[in-house]
Amino acid sequence: MRVLLMACFLALPLPGQASELLIALRDSYIRPGFDRLQQESANLEAVSKEHCAPEDTELRTAFGSAWDAWIAVAHLRFGPTETDNRAFSLGFWPDTRGTVPKTLAAMIAAENPAVKDPAQFSEMSIAAHGFTALEFLLYDPALAAPSPYHCTLVQAVTTDIAKTSAAIAADWNGPYGAGYGAPGPDAPFASDLDALSKTYTAMLTGLEFNINARLGRPLGSFDRPRPTRAEARRAGRSLRHVQLSLASLHDLASILMLDLEGAEMVESAFITAREAAAALDDPVFAGVAAPQSRLRIEALQQDLKKIDELARLHASAGLGVSQGFNALDGD
Amino acid sequence: MFRLFLATTALALPLAAHATEKADVLTNYANIAEAKYGDSLATAQTLQTAVEALIAEPSAEALQAAKTAWLAARVPYQQTEVYRFGNAIVDDWEGKVNAWPLDEGLIDYVDASYGGPSDENPAAALNVIANPSFTLGGAEVDANEITPELLSDTLHEADEVEANVATGYHAIEFLLWGQDLNGHGYGPGSRPWTDYAQGDDCTGDNCDRRAAYLKAATDLLVSDLEWMAAQWAEGGDARAALMEDESAGISAILTGMGSLSYGEQAGERMRLGLMLNDPEEEHDCFADNTHNSHFFDGLGIRNVYLGRYVGTDGSVTEGASVSDLVAAADAELDAELRGKLDATVLALGEIKTAAEAGFSYDMMLEAGNAKGEALVMGGVNALVDQTRSIEKAVSVLGLDAIEFEGSDSLDDPDAVFQ
Repeated sequence: MRVLLMACFLALPLPGQASELLIALRDSYIRPGFDRLQQESANLEAVSKEHCAPEDTELRTAFGSAWDAWIAVAHLRFGPTETDNRAFSLGFWPDTRGTVPKTLAAMIAAENPAVKDPAQFSEMSIAAHGFTALEFLLYDPALAAPSPYHCTLVQAVTTDIAKTSAAIAADWNGPYGAGYGAPGPDAPFASDLDALSKTYTAMLTGLEFNINARLGRPLGSFDRPRPTRAEARRAGRSLRHVQLSLASLHDLASILMLDLEGAEMVESAFITAREAAAALDDPVFAGVAAPQSRLRIEALQQDLKKIDELARLHASAGLGVSQGFNALDGD
Repeated sequence: MFRLFLATTALALPLAAHATEKADVLTNYANIAEAKYGDSLATAQTLQTAVEALIAEPSAEALQAAKTAWLAARVPYQQTEVYRFGNAIVDDWEGKVNAWPLDEGLIDYVDASYGGPSDENPAAALNVIANPSFTLGGAEVDANEITPELLSDTLHEADEVEANVATGYHAIEFLLWGQDLNGHGYGPGSRPWTDYAQGDDCTGDNCDRRAAYLKAATDLLVSDLEWMAAQWAEGGDARAALMEDESAGISAILTGMGSLSYGEQAGERMRLGLMLNDPEEEHDCFADNTHNSHFFDGLGIRNVYLGRYVGTDGSVTEGASVSDLVAAADAELDAELRGKLDATVLALGEIKTAAEAGFSYDMMLEAGNAKGEALVMGGVNALVDQTRSIEKAVSVLGLDAIEFEGSDSLDDPDAVFQ
């Protein structure tokens, strides 16, 4: 405890350094991430105009690339992603009450005309929006039967994804992004420390989401594993999402913790976890149900907990930040 | 003691308005918990009496009396929710009495539109009241006799599915009101009183088993609340755990305030329902009492910060508060946080007022209902806003360092999660 406090006083960034750090985070991590999401989502929308059949390879490829781009930034849950529930709309998961398939089935059965009007469609339940809904429409046997209405619905979802992604990128490239890099009374954050704390909280929340949701949900308990609760299992992307998220969180940590004491330990913990994930060879975590393969998924979860612990310890002391409340705080 | 303390500090530190000891704040916080859980117990006992009367002599009036008692019981209980998230003993216990949302088809008959077993929950439509024996999570269950033990040990969270809520306020709510089949339209569930009539008048079948279930669930609620009230009394475990480490105790208070405000109430309970436009995404959905459930949560957060609780019989519990501690460190922040807590109560009050005048919470959740959305978002925004000031209070009180000592504080959502 005393040692940590000492480190805190020694490494506390000067105001000038903190704002440089914010600008680095914004320009080399946050903006490029959302720019890529915008481009991939625009491409998905364009492709779906020509290819709307659920099994179409081009559509599925464009869908995969856009979802990849989202997973890489999905933990940046503040500011532009929170406006108008954009993050929820793009990636609503976990859906513990099965609202997404229920909502889509009802829309298809009634041929709900909201799909013809983008403004009206964006007002609909978020359960009909985003990558989670599109996965059902492309991969779930009960919801992927091609029809003229189905095609229009797919296109409505991709248009909405493109619109939402563009709005987030525009905010980060506009006044919000400018204000993030220059905290003050009229900016989104009153001080450098507030902005850094928020970014730090986003990093930890992202790590914990991988631990508790992406891995924790399918793991369930030893006696009752829950393979059907794995994220994006229909598209075979459960492990991929952990890997993409981990890679992006690694980038974020590298910038956030640059020059901090303990940064190498965090760095090596990330490398260990990423290697373990790469070696897993279990795309939808089906292995949770068998003791031997389950052990390896639990080990990956432990690797992530180790990163979380180290990042918490060294980043909070070094940056002088504390973690705020996050959306996972409820139950 | 407090007065003496004031006198000495006034001499020693003329600039400080008053100095508050953390121990006094914790004692008052525990006293308020004791009063709140005590009120929750007393109102649940009134509910128990009303339920027994309904079962002994079923009638429309008796059912209404039980509903009225249930609504009254929610008033003090919701104000205790701020004790969650910071106190492990409350978190470990809370699911027994207030678990939500639930797959009510586990308990009793439901409308055809409810559907059957789901991916998440194979027991979603089990209907224990209609079935004296069944298979659950691979095991054969003898439910011939419906007892509190059957509910708590076998059915509740059966098969490790959280939506299998067999006990607590919401199970009782479902048994009194029934499903709300009005969608986004006005009106709560409308279970007929004859669901409890015996003999030929019985509707919905198995009225005897339904009555047995209602009695078991109500008895269990009373015994669970008795237990929790005792934990906060002098010599109780919850009080002792709180006092173990003064700074961790203060941190627990603020953790409860922040987590309930943000992740739980603003997020899970309010914003999510609005985004999904799902009328079942309301906390007291059978009784259409969600506006009160939210309001009294907000009031509970505020009264813990101010250290002053007005009980159901008007008796006041008050004393040293976190507000005093924050004011001593940063008077401006204390004023800011007080202002935001007031604003939240007012915003939640606007939802309550509209709902009581006929614009009920499920109507507010309908897609495209701009006025409803504005009301609900007014509450969400106020809760999010106050969370920012709670975070500042944590920082001003120098509680950050606690995390280094491995205490479950703000920084361990894992602990909060479970």
